[in-house]
Amino acid sequence: MGAFLYGVSLQWKLDIRSKTLLITCYIVPLLFFAIMGGIFTSVLPEARDTLIQSMTVFGVTMGALIGLPPSLVEIYSSDIKKVYKANGVPLYLGIALTNISAFVHLLLMSMILYIAAPLAFNAQIPKKPGMYFIFLAIFIVVSLSIASIIGLAVKDQAKTSMFSIIVFVPSTMLSGIMFPVEMLPPIFKTMGKAFPASWGYGLMTDSAFQFDKLLPLSVIFVLAVCLCVVLLHKIDK
Amino acid sequence: MNEAIKISSLKKSYGTHLVLNGLDICVRQGEVFALLGVNGAGKTTLLECIEGLRKYDSGNIAIIGKVGIQLQSASLPGHMKALEAVKLFAKWNKVALDNTMLGALGILDFSQKQYYQLSTGQKRRLHLALALMRNPDILFLDEPTAGLDVEGRVSLHEQIRQLKEAGKTIILTSHDMAEVENLCDRMAILSGGRISFIGTIKQLNETVGKHYTITIQTESGTGKYASDNIGETLLALLTEYREKGETILDIQIDRGSLEQHFMKIAKGE
Repeated sequence: MGAFLYGVSLQWKLDIRSKTLLITCYIVPLLFFAIMGGIFTSVLPEARDTLIQSMTVFGVTMGALIGLPPSLVEIYSSDIKKVYKANGVPLYLGIALTNISAFVHLLLMSMILYIAAPLAFNAQIPKKPGMYFIFLAIFIVVSLSIASIIGLAVKDQAKTSMFSIIVFVPSTMLSGIMFPVEMLPPIFKTMGKAFPASWGYGLMTDSAFQFDKLLPLSVIFVLAVCLCVVLLHKIDK
Repeated sequence: MNEAIKISSLKKSYGTHLVLNGLDICVRQGEVFALLGVNGAGKTTLLECIEGLRKYDSGNIAIIGKVGIQLQSASLPGHMKALEAVKLFAKWNKVALDNTMLGALGILDFSQKQYYQLSTGQKRRLHLALALMRNPDILFLDEPTAGLDVEGRVSLHEQIRQLKEAGKTIILTSHDMAEVENLCDRMAILSGGRISFIGTIKQLNETVGKHYTITIQTESGTGKYASDNIGETLLALLTEYREKGETILDIQIDRGSLEQHFMKIAKGE
């Protein structure tokens, strides 16, 4: 247990030192919030009602999909995985540590948005903060599971960025955080349902338990975990 | 001498390419053993199979004792500090930090530097320290001095000698024949997925012959002669020159180098 906790705290420090996660989890989402928050609320005043949720979905999606995969590529596409094996450490430890660290970073960023949005743009605080944070945690976990697939499946950093962006752009554009989903053409509306951002945004906006929105996230998560297990086995060969 | 590692009928292939074709090797306790071969001969694959880092198709590997593995560079996250790596390995292996060992290897001098900031020599020393963390009986060193300057090389050779004196069994791969000649008790040369030679340097010389080159300089010119039997050939040449009435100005005798012997076996020349 001591080794695991030391590993978590070390991974936390490494993520801050590497700056990739720092930029994708904090700097870009908060900068986006500062600019787009101002634009959204002045163009469309009712955007204040969902500003926290939309900025959080953007930040979590970006931090998970673009921030996490490079850390996984560093571990699993290099000799670092041999270090794990040579010391009798299970290979899944790398993915566990990086995910826990990223989860904490994304939760922190989301809390900053939760506090800053009402102060800066008079944004509406979710009606049920407890439920909001539970749904936020679920959304972060599911987003990280998708990011883990990219990090394990792709072998080099340049290609990782490409695949991350391929998933990130439709996730944010089709999720309803930029403009109402109802305005999208039916095909894009359907496509958007394949990404966790749409369901996460829906859950956090409603702040009420809705099984029909939780189920797709659960299915995406289970499928992603299964795929990660398969990829880890492939790496272990 | 007791066995530290016993490998029998080891086979490993990548797809249809057979890399290790039924190897039998025995490494004795307390010896420094070198694995040699040209690039692609299967040294790293063999080493990784023994270390348990790679699965093999068939055969058997028996290891008697605790194992420590010094991996090549780029096997730690770039932003991890040297001391953090040492602490992490100590926790993984459930051992206390050995400051004497860390001091002897000079790790404490750069303990706060991040891995990407370390020189090649510092990385090698750090990896050696991590391999020694759980006080192993058998130590695997994969090209331990590759990329090191002369000072780093001499220092690491000294540390390897000290480890041997401490009773450790050491298995190393190397491309440096001088290093092998200086450090190793025995060697195995891999070629075409098989062991082409296994034994001491003396046995290697005997196997491939002495291969002396005799250069004789006279007033009329220079003659070069190859020989596997220096005594007989030299005597015959001196007699020949005397009968011709030529005055010998200089005689030079070169023994075939370990590199030449290695190439002869490894490439089947």
